[in-house]
Amino acid sequence: MRFFQPLSQFGFGRILAETRTHYPLSPGLISIEKPESLEGYSAHFDSALVPNYSFYDSSEIKLLWNLPDAKKEKILHEANQLSLQPFYPSYASEKLRIEDYDTYLKKFLSLPRIGEQSFYLPIDQFESEKIDEILETDCSLIILNDLSKLFNNQRKLAEKMSYLRTRLSPDIGLYLPGSVSPAFYSFLTYIGIDFFDNSIAYQVSKNGYFLTENGVFPIDNHPPCYCSQCSSTPKNIFRHNEMVLKNALARVNFALRNGSLRSIVEQDIHRNITFAATLRHLDTKFGELLRKRTPIIASTKVKCLGEESLNRPVVSEFRERVKERFRPHPSSRIIILLPCSARKPYSMSRSHIMFRNAIRKAGSSIFSMLSELIVTSPLSLVPRELENIYPARFYDIPVAGSWSEKEIEITSNLLSNVLSRYQEDSIIINHLHGSGYEDIIERVREKSSVEVIDTSYKAPPTSHQSLQELSEALVNTKERFSLNQTEKVISNTKKIQAIADFQYGPETGKRIFHGKIKLKGRYPRSPQIFRDDKHIATMHASTGYLSLFPAYTEEISKISLNKLDFGADYVSGSNIYAPGCLKADTHILPEDEIFVLYENDVIATARALVSGEDMNKMTSGKVAEIKKKKR
Amino acid sequence: MKINPDFANTIREIRDKALGERSHSRKVVHWVEDHRLRSGPGKAIVFILPTKGCSWALSKSGGCSICGYIYDNPQEPNFENMMKTFKEKLHDSIEDGENYSLKLFTSGSFLDISEIPEEIQKEILEEASQYREITEIILESRPEYVTKKIMQMIKESIDIEKIEIAIGLESANDDILKKSINKGFFWEDFEKATARIFDVGAKVKAYLLFKPPFVSEYDSIKDILQSVSKLNELGVDTISINAISIHRGTYLSKMFEKNQYRTPWLWSLLHLCKEIKSKYPDLRLICDVVAGGTQRGAHNCGDCDKQMTDSLKQFVLSQNLEDLNNEFKCSCKTEWKSFLLQEKITIS
Repeated sequence: MRFFQPLSQFGFGRILAETRTHYPLSPGLISIEKPESLEGYSAHFDSALVPNYSFYDSSEIKLLWNLPDAKKEKILHEANQLSLQPFYPSYASEKLRIEDYDTYLKKFLSLPRIGEQSFYLPIDQFESEKIDEILETDCSLIILNDLSKLFNNQRKLAEKMSYLRTRLSPDIGLYLPGSVSPAFYSFLTYIGIDFFDNSIAYQVSKNGYFLTENGVFPIDNHPPCYCSQCSSTPKNIFRHNEMVLKNALARVNFALRNGSLRSIVEQDIHRNITFAATLRHLDTKFGELLRKRTPIIASTKVKCLGEESLNRPVVSEFRERVKERFRPHPSSRIIILLPCSARKPYSMSRSHIMFRNAIRKAGSSIFSMLSELIVTSPLSLVPRELENIYPARFYDIPVAGSWSEKEIEITSNLLSNVLSRYQEDSIIINHLHGSGYEDIIERVREKSSVEVIDTSYKAPPTSHQSLQELSEALVNTKERFSLNQTEKVISNTKKIQAIADFQYGPETGKRIFHGKIKLKGRYPRSPQIFRDDKHIATMHASTGYLSLFPAYTEEISKISLNKLDFGADYVSGSNIYAPGCLKADTHILPEDEIFVLYENDVIATARALVSGEDMNKMTSGKVAEIKKKKR
Repeated sequence: MKINPDFANTIREIRDKALGERSHSRKVVHWVEDHRLRSGPGKAIVFILPTKGCSWALSKSGGCSICGYIYDNPQEPNFENMMKTFKEKLHDSIEDGENYSLKLFTSGSFLDISEIPEEIQKEILEEASQYREITEIILESRPEYVTKKIMQMIKESIDIEKIEIAIGLESANDDILKKSINKGFFWEDFEKATARIFDVGAKVKAYLLFKPPFVSEYDSIKDILQSVSKLNELGVDTISINAISIHRGTYLSKMFEKNQYRTPWLWSLLHLCKEIKSKYPDLRLICDVVAGGTQRGAHNCGDCDKQMTDSLKQFVLSQNLEDLNNEFKCSCKTEWKSFLLQEKITIS
């Protein structure tokens, strides 16, 4: 059994907790000697820092974990040992090293209690097959002793870390020893590092330097600090620097917990050229790996500040799902393309209320055959049905009106793709205005033969003239379809079906939300969804996503993309552990609502802690928390 | 195999390049210095004899990764001149009423007959035996040259009690000898040589190397402590801990130039002396810091280097632990401690 288990996941960043006590330890700071106060540290090295005769018999340095006394009885290991057989460091020539590392591997495997040992993994061994045997053991902590060599090589850093993180099971912790500026904790956590140490505080303090979260300053010229260490006389620089490290990590920890890690990463990397380049490289080349591990059910602001945001995992996951899972309602005939608004959800904004009033002038029966698509950056395209879910309701972008070539390309591709799913005789009403939008529509026109009517070409979309044009265009097109207009579609049903498709997989919405659908309760309450007067699901006001009652999920469990095959017909307790998970859908993202199946019967719904792919890789620890069991 | 062929080849290449650039110097270098004798504080007369140099360094194995003494030796020795100067200088250096230790260094092995022919060895020893002020004679050699035959020759030339054979063991750990120093012999060879020396009644002095390449300072401290214990068990009563100084034209120097090696801290030496002397009070512990306080020798932060090397010197002469009990209060002590652990975790 491994010492750690992931409690939540965000990109390659995780919160790791002690397996037995569920006490969170990472992302954490390791003190290189026993600190005066353990507060804020995840662990410390327990030994005389300088070897002496009384100590050298016990020979190994121990890493002691900082767990509350009350939980000490339950914990798996008290210590993680640093197993150090001397071997050639990475700067020795390759020839010398290879044989030597093999000896180390052999010695390591022969050690007692491997779960308590820390394993050394130099960068040139990341791909090696030789370490397979070690990864199959209980080995819980890996020390990346020379990773910092790659801190000036963005391509390799991105490659190596994404390779390593996908190869390792998420319950293995990674420790990056040595001096690391606290400004980069967020980025390094995001690419998968779990533990840092406080050695930079020792080094910097000696040289009379002063750490801040923005970098290092000389002691006689630094930004003022009013912490208690700095106010005392004499100033305690070491304590101050130590505190800065703790605070920096606490900030990362907090961001991980509430899902805003990516936002602070995007802010922080602007301090280092290599890391900024690494993130871009990761997003473009290895974006899928991050996407698979980034929750899409969340309720934090998505601040899209830089170019990085266009490829942000949650953003590209949204685009991908719109492309793969969004199916327009079959009665849709008229497609209106609308601009986005600063206020979210869009329909609460002034401009969208004006659009709605203009539409209504064409008669309220038009809504049944209407499909509204909001064109925006960086999400590209938000169908009106999905405007309430994360991230559509939560993103924010500094608008300057100009679109980059990349944005235009991505948006027009997605738009063409989605438009091709409508009936062939559908009509597009383009109520967009501005040169960026024009470019997008131009490209869409090139690709398809569908008729496009411009209603906001001459004046801004909220101008009287444009709104008038919109109403008129709608009246005209309505007449064309009035003959084959059949059923009246309730927009709430359309919306819930679209969300279900987006959340559980294509076609699921139609299968479960048919018949008489009614919503009870309004924002800010979470509306309850009734089908033929039975409460079958709830829509969460905070995220916009659905929860289903297990009894009704059978109807869609065959085609849904979030199944977990469980090894027994009953889940005891409130968690699902890795050994009980036989197979999980690879589409599962952390935080997703998943269906727990036993031989094709849904026995419970649960909240995923890690991605489906990682569930399959883990050998111990929690993979999901039960939400509701089927009675 | 007592060497790693790949490692040896690399050293050989560096050695060949540097050997081409060395210059002739057949001068007999000599000086007198303060020294700790068995009987107490005294003086040492040091001779560096110009021979052709260490056979190990000249061999195809390239010699030790850390040693550049070979570059000071002349290619072809002139023994006639050498003997003449030796005799004159020795005579001039000795003053009445003082006890002397005579150190005969060749930057190689004194007992190696391809460096100094047997008859010259004999002549030197017989010359030295004429001065009763000389109470100790220190000869340096690698263990393989300490043969029964040579030991017998020495016994015939001089009072064997005065003889101390100094062997550069460097470490009692065969891994370190092979992997980081390329020493070419193992602990067992040293053990056997020691037995041959004790058999005839001479004494042994062992040199230990503090912080060989590739070994973290932390592990090197451990290694020295371990080596001292092993030597003590063997009956060696004089141990000299040599902190590395970086010689040009060596493998280590190349590492140093690439910023892959930091010379040891004086704090570590201080710690080692304290630790060893309190555990083995009867041991004669010598710790001469070469190039102390410079980047290429053992150093601290720069502020406390002078004070600390002085204390170490004082301690070596007096063998009194109190000389080390000065309160050193330099703030670089915490940096040193964190350096130890960090280096251990990142490099080893």
